[in-house]
Amino acid sequence: MFDDLKRFETGSSEQYDWLNQLLDGFFPDRNTMDIRAVPRGSFPMINIARSDEAVRVYVFAAGLAPLDLIIDVQDNVLTLRGQRDAVSGQHEEGESRQVLRRERASGEFVRSIALPEGIDVERSEARHVHGVFEIVLPKREELKPRRIDVQAA
Amino acid sequence: MNDIVRSSHSHHSSLQQEQNGQNRHYKEALLPAVDIIEEANALKLVADMPGVTPETLKVEVDDQVLSLEGEIALNMPEGLSALHAEVRGQRFARRFNLSREVDSEAITATIVNGVLTLTLPKKESHRARRIEVQAA
Repeated sequence: MFDDLKRFETGSSEQYDWLNQLLDGFFPDRNTMDIRAVPRGSFPMINIARSDEAVRVYVFAAGLAPLDLIIDVQDNVLTLRGQRDAVSGQHEEGESRQVLRRERASGEFVRSIALPEGIDVERSEARHVHGVFEIVLPKREELKPRRIDVQAA
Repeated sequence: MNDIVRSSHSHHSSLQQEQNGQNRHYKEALLPAVDIIEEANALKLVADMPGVTPETLKVEVDDQVLSLEGEIALNMPEGLSALHAEVRGQRFARRFNLSREVDSEAITATIVNGVLTLTLPKKESHRARRIEVQAA
């Protein structure tokens, strides 16, 4: 369980980087980062949860229609790719307009994330609701928890 | 660990937030990323609020302050435990000070695939006019 959390750790926000680096100097093993970790706030944001039956991945991709996200699983790595167009600052007559603030990510994106072992990729499915994709990755039958009944003698 | 993973009942969490008072309410909200564009006759504001539906979205103007709020409405099954969470909250909220030229009565809002688009029209008297430079 805790190994899993470490694997998914995304690292701390930028303002603590200097402190982290300082602390890492004293305690080298303190916070080893996952190779696929990305800075906070990368688009799209991802939450992963698990139940006894499945691992559920929630992709917060506002502005993407159901067919705009390409979801691949290979060798236990989930890859999400797609594209989101920037809101245009163009006026009807082609005059460009001042962009006062541009915080939303745009353009192509690819994100990969390592999944826990034991996923049955064949039975995986995905849904889309209001800019959130839910990917359900069922666990393989033999890995589900099982209760063993004690038989009467 | 994470509200969105832990509590699937949005009603429950909004009740909880009301009990905890206004400050906590704002502190725990996520800040949506926004684009703001100056157009000739309006300001356009685009905000990422994935998971927010027209029913859970609240856009208000009070005393020149525009506030955007939206609850993330996700149907999650019971008994989930979080492995990894980048979205650590149940709701989005952000506020802006409007300037005088915005006609707050005429603001329109749409939300599609979790992207809120607000059009903030300027009052008639404040619209763009091109000023011709006269020859001396």
